[in-house]
Amino acid sequence: MNGFLDSLNYGQWILHALVLLPVIGIPLVLLAPERLAKHVALGVTLLTFVVSAGLWWHFDPSAGMQYRTAIPWMPRWGISYAVGLDGISLFMVLLTTLLGPLSVLGSYRYITERERGYYALMLALLAGLIGCFLALDLFVFYVFFEIMLIPMYFIIGIWGGANRLYAAIKFFVYTFFGSLLMLVAIIALVWKVALATGELSFGYDHLLRNAAAAGDLAPWLFAAFALAFAIKVPVFPFHTWLPDAHVEAPTAGSVILASVMLKIGTYGFMRFAVPFFPDVAMGDPVRTIIVVLAVIGILYGALVAMVQPDFKKLVAYSSVSHLGFVMLGIWGGTLASVQGALMVMIAHGLSTGALFFLIGMMYERRHTRELAEYGGLARVMPVFGMVLTLVALASIGLPGLNGFIGEFLVLLGSFGRYPAAVVIATLVVIVAAAYLLGALQKIIYTRLDRPENQGLTDLTFREVLVLLPLVAGIVWMGLAPGPILRRMEPAARAFVEASAQTDAPAGRTVLGQGEVAP
Amino acid sequence: MIDLFSPMGAARALLPEIVLSAWALLVLLVVAWRHRTAADCRLAGWLSAAGVVASAAALVWLWSSGARSSGLDHMVTLDWVRFGGAAVILFSAFATILVSIRYLDREGLTAPEYYPLLLLSTVGMLFLAGAADMIVLFLGLEVMSVGVYVLAGYDRRNPASAEAALKYFLIGAFASGFLLYGIALAFGATGQTNLQLIGAQLAIGPASLMARLGLALLIIGMAFKVAAVPFHMWAPDVYDGSPTPVTGFMATGVKVAAFVALTRVLLVSFPGFDQVWQPIIGVLALVTMIVGNLIALAQKHVKRMLAYSSVAHAGYLLVALWPGTRLGAAAVLFYLLAYSLTTIAAFALLGSLGTGGERDVRFDDVAGLARRRPWTALGLAICMLSLLGFPGTIGFIGKWTILQAVLAEGHYLLPVVLVITSVVSAGYYLPLIMSMYMKPEGERPAWKELVLAQPGAAIVFATIAAVVVFGILPSGIVDASLRSAATLAQTVMPMAGR
Repeated sequence: MNGFLDSLNYGQWILHALVLLPVIGIPLVLLAPERLAKHVALGVTLLTFVVSAGLWWHFDPSAGMQYRTAIPWMPRWGISYAVGLDGISLFMVLLTTLLGPLSVLGSYRYITERERGYYALMLALLAGLIGCFLALDLFVFYVFFEIMLIPMYFIIGIWGGANRLYAAIKFFVYTFFGSLLMLVAIIALVWKVALATGELSFGYDHLLRNAAAAGDLAPWLFAAFALAFAIKVPVFPFHTWLPDAHVEAPTAGSVILASVMLKIGTYGFMRFAVPFFPDVAMGDPVRTIIVVLAVIGILYGALVAMVQPDFKKLVAYSSVSHLGFVMLGIWGGTLASVQGALMVMIAHGLSTGALFFLIGMMYERRHTRELAEYGGLARVMPVFGMVLTLVALASIGLPGLNGFIGEFLVLLGSFGRYPAAVVIATLVVIVAAAYLLGALQKIIYTRLDRPENQGLTDLTFREVLVLLPLVAGIVWMGLAPGPILRRMEPAARAFVEASAQTDAPAGRTVLGQGEVAP
Repeated sequence: MIDLFSPMGAARALLPEIVLSAWALLVLLVVAWRHRTAADCRLAGWLSAAGVVASAAALVWLWSSGARSSGLDHMVTLDWVRFGGAAVILFSAFATILVSIRYLDREGLTAPEYYPLLLLSTVGMLFLAGAADMIVLFLGLEVMSVGVYVLAGYDRRNPASAEAALKYFLIGAFASGFLLYGIALAFGATGQTNLQLIGAQLAIGPASLMARLGLALLIIGMAFKVAAVPFHMWAPDVYDGSPTPVTGFMATGVKVAAFVALTRVLLVSFPGFDQVWQPIIGVLALVTMIVGNLIALAQKHVKRMLAYSSVAHAGYLLVALWPGTRLGAAAVLFYLLAYSLTTIAAFALLGSLGTGGERDVRFDDVAGLARRRPWTALGLAICMLSLLGFPGTIGFIGKWTILQAVLAEGHYLLPVVLVITSVVSAGYYLPLIMSMYMKPEGERPAWKELVLAQPGAAIVFATIAAVVVFGILPSGIVDASLRSAATLAQTVMPMAGR
């Protein structure tokens, strides 16, 4: 495989192709006839996925950041279009490219008006997300981070549910607020570093090496970064936009939002906020605050999910809970906990994506998401029942499925530092079982007592096609996490080492000896 | 090299202004014979557009010939700041004329004197942006203002238009008084009216009270013109009441000229007085951003919202002015371009909407526009995103250069307020997009009588294309703005590829 890929010069163009393909697809979709737009979008996203799949083999598991390229963009300001891939971003990118075609396919029946616009926005969203995970220049990262707001805003606002306008603007304003403060922090950091080293650059490596130049400003800069990412994750108490956005968004919007977009937040912590300011992030007040908020999020999300009558809202709140595990893992500070956090990110992407698709399929049949409206669906929709059960069990964290391995590693790896937090988080897993199994019971088991439900048809071939890759991923990740863990290990180890430097930054350039620009 | 003291040299240096003035008189002459029908009015419009092109050609010739003053900048300057400012002003005038042709037709305003007035006030703007002497600065300001006063009241049958003109005139006269007094005091303190000589004189002695007072009055006079809070009271009513193309012209041309002049006065004549003017500019910027954005948030009508938003943008520009460095001056210039391009397009598109007077276009009236007029809606949406400062548009690069200029000085209050007020501005820019794209058609759709004739549409299209293209590839303009700013302020900064 690698020989074949190398013969294509795969490593040279792959990262650019991943961003460019969806972008090229946008005019194609817009120019296509209304009826064909979805097929064009499917073709483009499938092609993106197929191209990206080569990374699984071509990626060098023993190395850190790979496929680096930089194209000068605004040389005067030290900005270049710099991209790269490591074990952290690899899986986020693959998750995004996998969910791309599935989201398009999953929208075939749900989206019936203004299709061209919808699929064009979907492609723009995917390009923004992929770019965000690849960016190795803070300006580029910021641009991608912002740019994806607009497609999501329109997807929620135009194709969303009854209360979509409120949800769309709330989503936008929350995220915009955080990201603008981050913009100030980025520029402030860049200039602090520039004045200390004499080189103005938005490049990631340059800033990482010299971030100590921030000096007294570091807590403030960290706060700005952390706020932007915490809103995105979302960390309790910044989560209030999430249930609204999730519930109002169309199915594919919820899928992308939950499976990929939330991960931008945790990814941002791992890539930028913590490595730039390890002393602040792992220092005492911040560490305590984050861990406490993470545990509150885990607990709160699960408890609120338990009382939701609306299935979509239930899953939305369960995301708050799952992402709390990720935050706990990042701050756990051990290889196991960080790898666990990454595994939770991937697992949550797959299983929550599948759950939202399933909810969408229910909704398309019955036009309601109220749990009480369902019951006994296993009888009329056996395949649906089977898939829902499997996915729900994965989300709960049943050993053998993908949810377990990540949460287990997080709990294991964080126990040394935060025993109390781990004990609480472990107990919450029981609550998770309670709310998901409860929902499962209400939907597919119990009695088929509503006449409206008796005529429901089982999943169509298209719907099975949407779910199959996700289910396969869930099972495969649960049974054989080794290859994934192996690929993310160097990056996770680098993160642990970077975040462990709480005292004198031995590995980093001391101020005044800044390297001269090449 | 041009010797500004010789008549020939002065004529060469002033070629764009001379061409435009002569052309304005020519159009006036033509209009004297032909002023009855709508066709006459259109003819005057096309003639004037040609005049702006001729003046722009003279500007390009002057700029590309690398003209520099052989000695002191006597009366007018010959630098990139003037040329760049003039280019933006001429573009604004050109777009305004093209958009007006159809607009005046629709509104039944057949009085072709409109165009010579517009050309003459453009001449005033050019002088204001290029002034090297307080006297020229004042003359430019007055020529510009008198033309715009009349234009604001151009819609005779509309009482709001008359109110706008009167209000603008009275407050403008008041502002001129401040400015003139400031000039007099500066002259009193230094015995000079040339900007550079004032600066040289002030650099020697201690800062006298008279000079400081003169500076403060100059800033106040200019603050009126750029509509900075608390000197903004006239702006919403005037912007709201004037015919929409004129509003666009005022919001761009006047602001560009006044900001270029203010930047020049502060950085050339009073560079050593930054302890005096920095706090003033900083406070003005703070209150302008906060008040402008908060009041804009409460508006129901699109035009009035844009009027307050232009007040808010004056606040951002003041933030850029605050550092007084080369980066800051470059940010002022870049943001003026970014803001002008976006605002021209936004007002042109707004002027094309309307149900008998676009003044009444409320947010709800554009509901469903995206289905009926997808391109108009897309254009307005891009303008709103650019005003919001969203990546992918020139507005973002503009805000980013401002933030960079201030943060490079290690100052954090103004940038933080700037971004927070930007978030507030999402609260009024986004509802317009939301209304166009996400709401069903209302009862009084504003697109019913939508008119945007080809010349107007072409210029709007070009402007919006520029908003996007320069938003993605701003390097060239950023470099040009930095190079321009070098004549105003010399600061060493760490910069790649210097």
